[in-house]
Amino acid sequence: MNSLDRHSLEEQTRLVSRYVAGDLSRSERAEFEAWLVASPELAAEVEMERRLRRGIASAARRGWLKRGTQTPLPSVADQRWRFAVAASVLVSLVTVGVAVVVPERETSESSDTRVAAVTTLARLAAPRTVRLGSVRGFGTSPDVIVTRSDMPRELTIEPDVMVLTCEDGSIDLECAGGTAPRTPQYSEYEMDVVYRRDSSLALRSSRQLANPGTLLSFVVSDPQKLQTGDYDLLVRGHSSDHEEVVARFWLRITDQ
Amino acid sequence: MSGPSTEDIERVVSAALGGDRHAESQMLVALRPGVLAVLRFGAFHRWVDAEDLTQETLQVVVERVRARTIDDPRKVFAFAAATARNLALNAARKVLRQQTVVDSELVDEIAQNLEMEPNDLSDSDDRHLAQAVMTLLDELPTPRDRQVLVRFYLDGADKQSLCRELGLSPKHFDRVLMRARTRLRTIIERRAPHLALFPRITSILLPIALSFTFWVRDFGSW
Repeated sequence: MNSLDRHSLEEQTRLVSRYVAGDLSRSERAEFEAWLVASPELAAEVEMERRLRRGIASAARRGWLKRGTQTPLPSVADQRWRFAVAASVLVSLVTVGVAVVVPERETSESSDTRVAAVTTLARLAAPRTVRLGSVRGFGTSPDVIVTRSDMPRELTIEPDVMVLTCEDGSIDLECAGGTAPRTPQYSEYEMDVVYRRDSSLALRSSRQLANPGTLLSFVVSDPQKLQTGDYDLLVRGHSSDHEEVVARFWLRITDQ
Repeated sequence: MSGPSTEDIERVVSAALGGDRHAESQMLVALRPGVLAVLRFGAFHRWVDAEDLTQETLQVVVERVRARTIDDPRKVFAFAAATARNLALNAARKVLRQQTVVDSELVDEIAQNLEMEPNDLSDSDDRHLAQAVMTLLDELPTPRDRQVLVRFYLDGADKQSLCRELGLSPKHFDRVLMRARTRLRTIIERRAPHLALFPRITSILLPIALSFTFWVRDFGSW
């Protein structure tokens, strides 16, 4: 394994993120791990990568960090576009203002409904996708926190919980013939959202076919309808004769 | 943190392969952080007690070194990593076998235990870590670097699309991540040194205890 050579340290260090995220292939992982055993420096690097991931997640949970809010730094061309967009917005606002000042007659009921709908939409933040897998919350804190002030229109949970087995169903690093395991342990998966306070089922997803190499993806389409409090996200695997809870995550809906 | 280099460790392992018992103890100390990391972040990390399995792994490695069936230090590294993985796989198998009961409270309990990572941080440590990360983000030279970290680690954006979106080369992206880790280590060492202790004190004591056990077993008295 020439990766033990000193000059390849930089290259190996680049793999740290992918390793901690569980993104390396089996052979890459084996090679990386042999290198890891031989290098406390690299092990410390891996540890720090993990701390970095956890620290960022923790800061976000505490509301110290806004996710994905910043936009790329504008180039000159971008700035021109910005002026153009700003001008368009200004013209639109003036048009809307004129329309409001000189309104058409319409029933107050339909008008109120429209305003309410628009207000609700405006309050909801962009859809949010949360991947849960290699890096998970600690046992004492929720894995996902959603605040009402930053409530996404749609919450997508992508749990990395699919265990791949050999064709005979055995869980092994290497299957007969030296091939990698690639058969999902269960053919279908579903997710339950269970309100912890009264153990009531708030939502059950439709079943999803397991597809090796593709993350499961469960959409909570109206997260604003969930009451404030703690929820269990139970991911269940289904086969023709068996079902099993394969993962449990903790979702918290908070008011602030 | 300055630890032994790979070359140093290779020398120590060579000496241990030559039968040097003092070098054997040094080898256990040197290999422990890496073996522990393999178990904590490897494929089956959810199902294993990494500390326990590290000790078991090192025990197997010492036995193999003493049996002189390996002659190349690099093969010892690969053997240690493979042993750690296999022990983790066995532990995972054991746990999964226990999961055959359906629809009972027991299943939920098992699932909960399985899916929660070992809680190695207290609430106050968690806060310290979050504060350290916020300091790191504040210190980053450009808003773009900050964005790289937040988008990559928090939003789960993939490297390729981030590079495209932010106009970064993959090399620059890697550098941002590497610098962030290095800087975080410095901040943590200053503010919450116990979070950065790697290897921790156990990583010194356990291999010594392990060598001592082997020494007593081999020589029968002490």
